[in-house]
Amino acid sequence: MIAVSIALGAVQAASPTPAPVTVGGAGIFTSSLLLSILVWTPVLVAAVIAVLPNPRGRYDGLMKQIAFFTNVGLLFVLWVAYNQFENFLSDPQFQENLPWLRSIGAVYHLGVDGPGMLMLILSGLVGIASVLASFGVRERVRSYFCLLLVSEACVNGAVVAHDMFVLLLFWGAATVPLALLVLGWGGPRREAAAWRLVGYWGLGTIALLVAVMALYAATGSTSFDMDVLLKTTLSPRMQLAVGAAVLVAAATRLPLFPFHGWVRDVYSEAPVGVCVIVAGSATRLGALVLIRVLVGAEPIAAQLLSPLVAGMAAVTVIYAGLVVLRSVDLRDAAAHLALVPGGVTVLGVAALSPLAIGGSVLSLFSGGLAAALIVGVCATVADRAQSRSMYVLRGLAPRMPNLTWLMLFAVFGILGVPLMASFTAETMTFFGSLKNQPVGAFAVALGLAVVAAGLAVIVHRVLFASPNPDAPGVSDAALGETWFLAILAGALLWVGVFPSGPKLPGTDQAIFDPGIVTTLAAGITDIASPYAVAK
Amino acid sequence: MTKELVLIPEALVLATALLLLLAGRFGGVPPSLRPQLPALVAGVVLIALVLELWLGATLASLFDGGFVQDRFALFAKAAVLLAAGTAIAVADWSAEDSVSVGLAMQLLAAFGVMVAASAGDFVGLWAGLELAAAAGVVLVGLRRPDLGLRLLVAGGVATALLGIGFAFVYATAGTADLFLIRGAMELAGPTVPLAVPVLLLLGGLAVRASIAPFHIASIPAALGATPLGAGLVLGLVAAGAFIVAIKVVAVLSPVPQVFSAYLAVIAAVAMVGGGAAALAVRAPRARLAYLAVSQAGWVAAGLATNYRDGLAGALFLVGAFTLAAACGPVVLGGVEGGEASLAGMGALRPARAAGIAIAFLSLAGAPPLAGFFGEFAVAAALAQGGHFELLALGVLGSVLSVAAALGTLRVLYIQSPPEEARRGGGLALPALTALSTAGAVALFVVIAAYGVFGNPIFGLAFQGAEALGLR
Repeated sequence: MIAVSIALGAVQAASPTPAPVTVGGAGIFTSSLLLSILVWTPVLVAAVIAVLPNPRGRYDGLMKQIAFFTNVGLLFVLWVAYNQFENFLSDPQFQENLPWLRSIGAVYHLGVDGPGMLMLILSGLVGIASVLASFGVRERVRSYFCLLLVSEACVNGAVVAHDMFVLLLFWGAATVPLALLVLGWGGPRREAAAWRLVGYWGLGTIALLVAVMALYAATGSTSFDMDVLLKTTLSPRMQLAVGAAVLVAAATRLPLFPFHGWVRDVYSEAPVGVCVIVAGSATRLGALVLIRVLVGAEPIAAQLLSPLVAGMAAVTVIYAGLVVLRSVDLRDAAAHLALVPGGVTVLGVAALSPLAIGGSVLSLFSGGLAAALIVGVCATVADRAQSRSMYVLRGLAPRMPNLTWLMLFAVFGILGVPLMASFTAETMTFFGSLKNQPVGAFAVALGLAVVAAGLAVIVHRVLFASPNPDAPGVSDAALGETWFLAILAGALLWVGVFPSGPKLPGTDQAIFDPGIVTTLAAGITDIASPYAVAK
Repeated sequence: MTKELVLIPEALVLATALLLLLAGRFGGVPPSLRPQLPALVAGVVLIALVLELWLGATLASLFDGGFVQDRFALFAKAAVLLAAGTAIAVADWSAEDSVSVGLAMQLLAAFGVMVAASAGDFVGLWAGLELAAAAGVVLVGLRRPDLGLRLLVAGGVATALLGIGFAFVYATAGTADLFLIRGAMELAGPTVPLAVPVLLLLGGLAVRASIAPFHIASIPAALGATPLGAGLVLGLVAAGAFIVAIKVVAVLSPVPQVFSAYLAVIAAVAMVGGGAAALAVRAPRARLAYLAVSQAGWVAAGLATNYRDGLAGALFLVGAFTLAAACGPVVLGGVEGGEASLAGMGALRPARAAGIAIAFLSLAGAPPLAGFFGEFAVAAALAQGGHFELLALGVLGSVLSVAAALGTLRVLYIQSPPEEARRGGGLALPALTALSTAGAVALFVVIAAYGVFGNPIFGLAFQGAEALGLR
């Protein structure tokens, strides 16, 4: 009951009620380059790491520490930005607008709205987690952390881009370091995994480019600025073309069935740190673009495509559940479980009600954390138990107590159990979807039931069944592994318990966290306004 | 200041080339000076570039309109001088057959492209391109006479096609002057007798530009040549062909029906075919060559749009292409051992590896490098013109190209280097000199900065397109 009331409170908070909340930290630190700092600091640090002398890997440890403290610093900057964020402004905040390539109308325009701020926080948390998860990397440490930092920069850049050219730049650029990370540090089938990643994400880039160019051509070919491209009313036919292209782009990145072909190979073969960043933040960009462009700018296309979008969401979740049910490979199962939050997010996109869109945005955050956690914990278990086969991995709970707890958190996060952030997100999404997309909501719920059954089988087998006497030796998570998983699990739990942030008792005064659900309201009003009138 | 001063960069480049040839022939280079020769010549090219940017800003017309110095010429000449100078600096001269001939041919090719860029009539266009191509034949033939002959024969076919095409257009317009031909085209309108010679003309240019499916002679020649020879054929000669093509397309712009469809087909085949071939091959130089073919397809796509923004985008891309395609094979070095020659180079030769990586990625169109910005400018023009099918094919080609480039990056940075004891001649590392390291760093910086700080370059490219009379 407590959890339900918390969730309903969150639902209320997500509604655009104009009651300003005083946030701690506002005005302490200001910088007109705040977003550029978030984007370019990892690139600069990567460049510094790349040229630091490192004879025979003597300073590998230093490289790891530099990457870690860079992420800590970025998270601090993010925390300041989060606290200074005005929750009731619909315009993007911390804007930077510099002329760039005037001849084609591209400007260096950055800005962040509510969904963007959530994505930045997610990227910050996932960034730290991925660095901690990568502390076990022993080979070519310098190159690994350079690429990891560049990947983070690309994700941050795509999130804060307020110009379609800048968005495409970072969206496309993210593929290169991530594919190299898979190719260089992945498992035995790393080549197939990397090429699939490049192929599918490349297809998504083609689709997004076509959508952007169609918008550019339709709006007079003067600017790539989102203020121009996304605020021009297009003909229904053009909206449909743009919407379909954006849907393909999002479906390859998020991913959604039938564009999920890269998932199994990448999540099974990539090193843990890379899995965390891909599942946690890089893939959520797909849903962010879907919300920004399809829902936010092309309302007619969004309405027309909504049955298809709901169908893709439902098929994705059901498919993931069925694969998990019959899977005997732990990392393979985790790869498919990582599809589930994306399906829920997209259900909210299909429902096209303010509440569902709010739930969808929150699901970006909670789903990213849950997907990163499930992929990370399963990869760690497989590493620690020296096997991925669920015929071998049995009854590990007594020998892996920390990992057992963390795996249970991951399972709860995927299923949206009360007190987890994903519960709030799923509640908002389902409540918002029941009217507009009842069949889709039912199908996704059915899929979640299948997923739950699959997870029950996995948890029973891997953690609580009678131990396999022939299994190789196992050990619990190392300190770095525990911390990276605990950060993800802790964030899921924190937002689940305090979706609107902790308040001073008896007041409406936020202490240090203005609340994720409060923050996401900024910008949502604008995005959801075409759908505010009940059908 | 008299307007003849705009000829100084050309004169400087030509005089240096002739001096090098004479010195090489008669043994006039003192042995103590030989190791410094590339640095000296790179310095001369740098001076020519600075002079071009300074003096070339003056608009001028010389030799009764046969030589035109406008913004187009300024852009094209600056790009080719930058590419030639960087290639000279980055080269591993121990892998070249003759320092003086290598340097001289590089300069002669650059001079040829400069002549074509400033040409006011068909004669200048044809002569400039032939000079650049002849330099390529000499440099390829120096190491592999058989391939040099093959290139010569293919080049002869291209010359014949160009000659026939020019002659028919001349016959239609009654003049060889580009400005006057444009006026005549406005009156003549699109006709089949014009479309056929234009097809031949574009075919000849496609052979010179090594653009698929006309790459059958130049790519094998580039694969067998020295690194500098490969860069010359794939980069400078192709750049010359593109510059001629841009001028021809500008002249024919009143009758786009006679060339747009050809260019669109060529572009589609090159963009996708080049990307697919780059993915299929493993040898680094072959991969680079096919990446160049794929990017050349983007240039053709820009020309197919037939309006100012498309041509400006194509011109901007030609700058990026010339730099990466001319310097890429050079920074790559001999690579006789195939992919294995590059294994672990990121650790052993970081500056050179960075140069190789950035050349590959730029030719593949990976963001945020010069090639990406150029391809994006062309893509924007394609969208403006409604050529979405060409745009989608181009991006598909770029995705294939990026996948291919990643394969080489993996070898550079992720594969372990072979043991020193097993390093034979084929796997020998390029010689490490201060000049080549500085050249590799310069290549990296220029390609990275070309787009990121590209506003003035874009502006110049647009002025260049305007100078050709396009709207």
